[in-house]
Amino acid sequence: MSSDTNGSGGSGRPPAIEAEGLVKRYGDKVAVDGLSLRVGAGEVLGILGTNGAGKTTTVEMIAGLRRPDRGSVRLLGLDPRRDRARVRQVLGVQLQAAYLHGALTVAELLDLYRSFYPDPRPAAELLDLVGLEEQRRVRFEKLSGGQQQRLSIALALVGRPRVVILDELTTGLDPRARRRMWGTVERLRDEGVTVVLVSHAMEEVERLCDRVALLDAGRLVAVDTPGALTARAGAETLDDAFVALTGKQLEAAE
Amino acid sequence: MSTTATAVVRRPGPRAWLNLVVCEAKMVARDTAGLVVPLGLPLLILLTSAQAAGDQEVVAGFSALEAYVLPLVLTMVIATIGVINMPSFLAYYRRSGILRRLSVTPASPAMVLVAQVVVSVLQTVLGLALAVGVAFLGFGASPPAHLATTLGVYALAMAAMYAVGMIVAAVAPTPNSAVAIGLVGFFALGALGGMFGGPGSLPEPLAALGERLPFGAAVQALAAAWVGAPVEAAHLVSLGVTVVVGSVTAGLLFRWD
Repeated sequence: MSSDTNGSGGSGRPPAIEAEGLVKRYGDKVAVDGLSLRVGAGEVLGILGTNGAGKTTTVEMIAGLRRPDRGSVRLLGLDPRRDRARVRQVLGVQLQAAYLHGALTVAELLDLYRSFYPDPRPAAELLDLVGLEEQRRVRFEKLSGGQQQRLSIALALVGRPRVVILDELTTGLDPRARRRMWGTVERLRDEGVTVVLVSHAMEEVERLCDRVALLDAGRLVAVDTPGALTARAGAETLDDAFVALTGKQLEAAE
Repeated sequence: MSTTATAVVRRPGPRAWLNLVVCEAKMVARDTAGLVVPLGLPLLILLTSAQAAGDQEVVAGFSALEAYVLPLVLTMVIATIGVINMPSFLAYYRRSGILRRLSVTPASPAMVLVAQVVVSVLQTVLGLALAVGVAFLGFGASPPAHLATTLGVYALAMAAMYAVGMIVAAVAPTPNSAVAIGLVGFFALGALGGMFGGPGSLPEPLAALGERLPFGAAVQALAAAWVGAPVEAAHLVSLGVTVVVGSVTAGLLFRWD
């Protein structure tokens, strides 16, 4: 595979994440089919694809939540499954549709997750990052879907991670909350944090990501800067580039 | 910034453990049914049968209150908590993705399991104190002839009930089915173990079976220890085997997500 499909871009940054030849099957279905990807330290990488393209399975293998059938992952030089304890200290993950202790309040959950890390961010800073100051005494089960999602993002950042994986960052958020989350990612980038952003939203990817990986049927179709992808496809927009490169229409977020 | 994480592994410390136990305690306390049933149901049985039982002397110095009602009531406390409550919490945590979420933090989902056990032991102590307090103050019950043996038997019986609960948590696919399986298990074990009118009211083969199952064995062994009779080895073996079978089954079948 040539370096422009899996290299760390023109930045020359050393990789924070190296995935080599990842394969994952569920029964007869191949979810991820020989995927290799590098993410440079401090880079914001978007992963774009239709439903079932293998985005979530890919990031779950990177996070060590799923064991690849074949291939390997290195995260800051560590194996996410064998060096589990070390990886957990430097990696923050927002899972799709993750639920938390329903009867605990926002403040109680923040305190609980803060106690897992040696140098956690202050609770007030986290509440401010995701705009949940007014909900701090509300139980998780009483929060709206968007508020639950924002708390989940805050918890991914609790331990001052060096690598953050955000699966469907803004799906289900209203426009204001969405812009706030974008600001949060921009702040992470300024702090030098490596971010992997799984997304459905073109606008989000174009605005936030240094490079974008296009996935289709478990394979990496292309990875480059949004501008270069658009140019390569001879398209006007990233949306059109996606259609040209994968032959599929990127549906709206579910 | 170095690209290799060489940081020393720092596992969650005492503060994280304490925090988790407090959080589990809040979860249990805010789940009204789960809080009230293990404390209220045994107390109800005690209040409705203690008066009559206290008048029947069974062995020298002890009435049916110590020889039957209290062992039954105390076994109900650990059975409701171990067989119904704990598996329903674990099934809910698994189903909702809470265990999965914890597995991407430095805390392990096993910490939740330990915290649940700690909280349920506290809840048991509360239920025990309530039942024993009412029996002593309200109905003049006598303290156990062998306190240490009684406590030892109770601890073993509690482990056996958790073991049954772990089997329920391991085989139940959803939180609802965990409650259903737990309830059926509780009533089946309880009915065979004399919860509805004593082993004497059951046909002989069923009574014999019930006595070999953890609920009946716990009631019989507790009763013997309380009134100072020798605890039958068969009852202790039954409880011990339950602990082993439950742990092995759960170890093989329990899924974290």
